[in-house]
Amino acid sequence: MTAATAITAPGLAGPATAARPRIGREWTLALPLAAFFAVFFVTPLLLLVAVSLYADAEMTRFGLDQYIRFFGDTFNLAVLGSTLLLGVKVTALTLLFGYPLAWLYTRSGPRMQSALILIIILPLLTSVVVRTFAWIVILGRDGIVNNLLLSLGLAETPLRLLYTEGGLVAALVQVQMPLMVLPLITTLSRLDPNLLDASAALGAGPWRGFLKVTLPLSLPGIVAGCLLTYAAAVTAFITQSLVGGGQMLFMPQYIYQQTITLHNWPFAAAISIVFMVSVLGVVMLFNLLGRASKGYVHA
Amino acid sequence: MTFDRRQILAAGLTLGAMSLFPGMSWAQARKLVFATFTGSWEEAHRDVIVPHFRKATGNADIALDPMLSVDMIAKVSAAKANPPIDVMLMDPGPRLSVIGQDLAAPFPVADSKNYQDLLPVAQLPEGPGIFFQAVGITYNPEKVKTPPTSWDDLWKPEYKGRVGITNMNSTLGTAFMVELAKTRGGGENDIEPAFAALKELQPNLGAVAPNPGALATLFQQGQIDISPGNFNAIQILRARGVPVEFAKPKTGTIAFLTTAHITKNSPNAKLAAALIESAMAPEVQTKLMQAPFYVIPTNSKVQMDGDIARMIAKDQEELKASFVFHDWSVINQNRAGWIERFNKEIKV
Repeated sequence: MTAATAITAPGLAGPATAARPRIGREWTLALPLAAFFAVFFVTPLLLLVAVSLYADAEMTRFGLDQYIRFFGDTFNLAVLGSTLLLGVKVTALTLLFGYPLAWLYTRSGPRMQSALILIIILPLLTSVVVRTFAWIVILGRDGIVNNLLLSLGLAETPLRLLYTEGGLVAALVQVQMPLMVLPLITTLSRLDPNLLDASAALGAGPWRGFLKVTLPLSLPGIVAGCLLTYAAAVTAFITQSLVGGGQMLFMPQYIYQQTITLHNWPFAAAISIVFMVSVLGVVMLFNLLGRASKGYVHA
Repeated sequence: MTFDRRQILAAGLTLGAMSLFPGMSWAQARKLVFATFTGSWEEAHRDVIVPHFRKATGNADIALDPMLSVDMIAKVSAAKANPPIDVMLMDPGPRLSVIGQDLAAPFPVADSKNYQDLLPVAQLPEGPGIFFQAVGITYNPEKVKTPPTSWDDLWKPEYKGRVGITNMNSTLGTAFMVELAKTRGGGENDIEPAFAALKELQPNLGAVAPNPGALATLFQQGQIDISPGNFNAIQILRARGVPVEFAKPKTGTIAFLTTAHITKNSPNAKLAAALIESAMAPEVQTKLMQAPFYVIPTNSKVQMDGDIARMIAKDQEELKASFVFHDWSVINQNRAGWIERFNKEIKV
């Protein structure tokens, strides 16, 4: 962006226009990708919208019936609400655990850093299914957590951890952690350490320095991390169904149930659209925060 | 249309070769794609049905593509004119949607050697039944000392927090609910007693699994000790050393047929029929019945043997007497409403 402005500026100022036609055609470089998106992303999306506009499961007549059905039942709104809330819980916890981890990374020596980055990235190198099954082993009645609690005498009978929302949030936080930590590391390592020294020299304690300098300057990383974590947590079909179980219904399983089990494609399409718009809404909110934070940083 | 010399030569050579090796006359546009089930089903079908089929067809090319019935329907209905699958396996619920959506071609009964030997209940011209699946009570014999004999045993207070079920997305979960309704005065058209019974079961419920596979995992993890379960899933767990047993409820084992269908518009319809023929053959079904597969045969010529004879039925007469079948045409009409209700009402 800045590079482009730098090149155009002289062209505008002087008569030398040689650079112009080349710039004019730069957009053609984006054509292959644009075509790819149009064919494999926009078209299916439009088809999805079209399917959601059928009034009946047999897809014979058009109408807004599916949307009316969705919004007319508080149960559906509760499913949507609990899914969006699940994302908030997971994102808040990943931020809480991820921030110190990212901070520790930027403050460590090179050897420690390579060990930390391995630990951070490791979850990404295992399949999500394997990671999720590991959580079933950890949270089960005979699992590590329950055995520990029982042997320490902290519980009389095994606790119900698997197939509870608490268990699901814990599993999702671990599974999505890299998505939060990596953007944070990027932002935090770009911070000029002199800024903290300066704030210390001006009399700010470590906490004040953190709250007034580090935290505001790392806001773009926080926003990026939250965005990724949130989107991944609300759509985590595998983890939601395997750790959440068969009676906790979230939007992804709801869509799966309507398409695959019940063949009600129009309703499934309508739920998908509602879900997508809701998640986009939350993402836009994050983005607004991000923009506000940038203003704050530059001020 | 014009032919050049090379094409004519190639065609001539092909024809010559085909008369030399009659097996090759199974003209193949592409590999025959057999959509089997996932997990041990695929192994069983690869190890037993495929070799028999290849022998019968002179080594015709075949590929196995494991997935769930519902996924097969989704794939085939998305490409009706040129389906990516030639043979589909169906549980009773999906079977009716396949027939309803006109996705299957009828099996050529008149040309079949084995069709007449199938048990009458499996003789379905839209796609014959090639094995049964059975649902009974599964339990951990180390934790459950008295073997259960009735569905009512799940309600015993000593199983507090240790009973598992699946939700109604699966055939297993739906069949269990229908059977529950039946044992308590309802049926396919009156599911009310099942929901009432499930509410009473809630203190005992340790888990509502999202699918039958997850239910099996829960036995392995010690999360649950007793549940409705599929006979074959139990055999897989037993083979892995998990302490788990299958018990026939006194009201009968819930049974359903798995049917094999030729996909409509399949370019390999003849080969598809040959594959189903192999799956019905008594020698194939005899082999599939034995360890480690334990597939319940539909061919009346198969002698019941081993674990199947011990745990399911010693012969076809006992099988007929102890199997309970449900009316899936009625179930399918009501299922969407039931699933919606289950979503709303069953919380642990």
